[in-house]
Amino acid sequence: MLEGLVSPESLSFSYADMSVPERLKWLQQHQQQEVLSLSSNDSPELLQILQFHGSNNDELLQSTFSHFQMVGSGFGTNYNMGFGHSHEAMDGCISRTSSCQIHPPDAMGVMLKNSEENRAISLKNKRKSEDKTREEEKTEKKIKVEAERESNISNKEASSDTSKETSKGASQIQKLDYIHVRARRGQATDRHSLAERARREKISKKMKYLQDLVPGCNTVTGKAGVLDEIINYVQSLQRQVEFLSMKLAVINPELEFAVEDLSVKQFQAYFTNFPVVIASKPSVMVDVPLFPLDQQGSLNLSVSNPNQTSIDAPSESWETQSQNLFASVLR
Amino acid sequence: MASAYNPIYTDVPEKDVFALHFLQTLSNLRTQNSFSSPDNKTSDRVKKIKKAAYVSMARAAGATNRLWSRSLLHQAAKRNNKNVRFLRRKRRVTWLMRRRSNRGDPIEDVAAERLRNLVPGGGGMETSKLMEETAHYIKCLSMQVKVMQCLVDGLSPK
Repeated sequence: MLEGLVSPESLSFSYADMSVPERLKWLQQHQQQEVLSLSSNDSPELLQILQFHGSNNDELLQSTFSHFQMVGSGFGTNYNMGFGHSHEAMDGCISRTSSCQIHPPDAMGVMLKNSEENRAISLKNKRKSEDKTREEEKTEKKIKVEAERESNISNKEASSDTSKETSKGASQIQKLDYIHVRARRGQATDRHSLAERARREKISKKMKYLQDLVPGCNTVTGKAGVLDEIINYVQSLQRQVEFLSMKLAVINPELEFAVEDLSVKQFQAYFTNFPVVIASKPSVMVDVPLFPLDQQGSLNLSVSNPNQTSIDAPSESWETQSQNLFASVLR
Repeated sequence: MASAYNPIYTDVPEKDVFALHFLQTLSNLRTQNSFSSPDNKTSDRVKKIKKAAYVSMARAAGATNRLWSRSLLHQAAKRNNKNVRFLRRKRRVTWLMRRRSNRGDPIEDVAAERLRNLVPGGGGMETSKLMEETAHYIKCLSMQVKVMQCLVDGLSPK
């Protein structure tokens, strides 16, 4: 990849070759995490650089590269920082005209590094439009876009969005009380699609929750399958209710149960924290005084059974307890 | 945990509450004259018990807090021609309809429609709200099924 850039065959330094593919790999890895925050101000300089890309002239290359910081170690650190920093650092890197006396092989090695970086810059330039829109996003559309720093803070908070994030190395985090949407790389950033994406992410989150709820949903992938499973589950539950009510209807009227026994006071004996509520009709009574009953949460099933069953309440399971309860109450 | 707000919003009361409500409704059903008479058909009884089950479930699960329970109670009340007093919430139906016509995702919509038919009160909800309601409804339904199962087991001849 780099051979096309630096065409003169004299530029074949073994140590540079060794380091270049490694650096290429590193570059490719970090491509996704780059801050591509180039603005149009730098384009003349970069165009200059790009012009010299194709040229085979060593001197021209050298002259352009003299604009860059040429110190080897300094360049190394800059290289590392340059892809994580915002635009200003790159600017400083480029515009500094420190010219150092460097041994030609080192210079060529640095030039190779530079050319690689330039290639990265050229790639970045191609994607400038996207980046520009993302820039706009960051500054203008603060409402629904969350910019994340490449720091530990963001890692802590990004538990839910780790799968889709592009960490933006921006200098600020806009933590507003709005719906936060992480904009992916290369996606449209107008308002409607953002809202659409936010809505879709909400829905997918809830589907994940439903997936955990419904047993046997883990194997199915895709929204449609999960939704089908959920629908089947709900239908089966409803059918179960119907079936059990049929069973109840068969069982109950055959028994001569005394309805008078089932009074509120008896319920009080079984359940503590039970407010005295008299439900007169089986039909809907939606009056407000009934609702405190609904708010109760978990009642303590105190075992003050008239039947002399075992009173170690914690050990007995709810099912057996309730069965005894029901049997005693409804017989 | 993936989402922060879902586990909080879909809490469901314990089985005891469901049991209590169900037994109450059943007992009140039995005080009705039409129920205990022998010439009553089983299917009618079954329907009444089923309705009682759903109504008690809706009440147990926090009647007005959830959309599905509200609509369930509303339907039941309408069938009995009872006057129901509800706190009316503002329903932004037009906004919803507009939204749905614009942003229909074909994969979601078909299944969402089926879900809307299943879950009571699903007609006026947006898909995300529908999901929450479904989750709560599933939890309550499973609770109710457990209660009824216990009841049947307790009453069945040993």
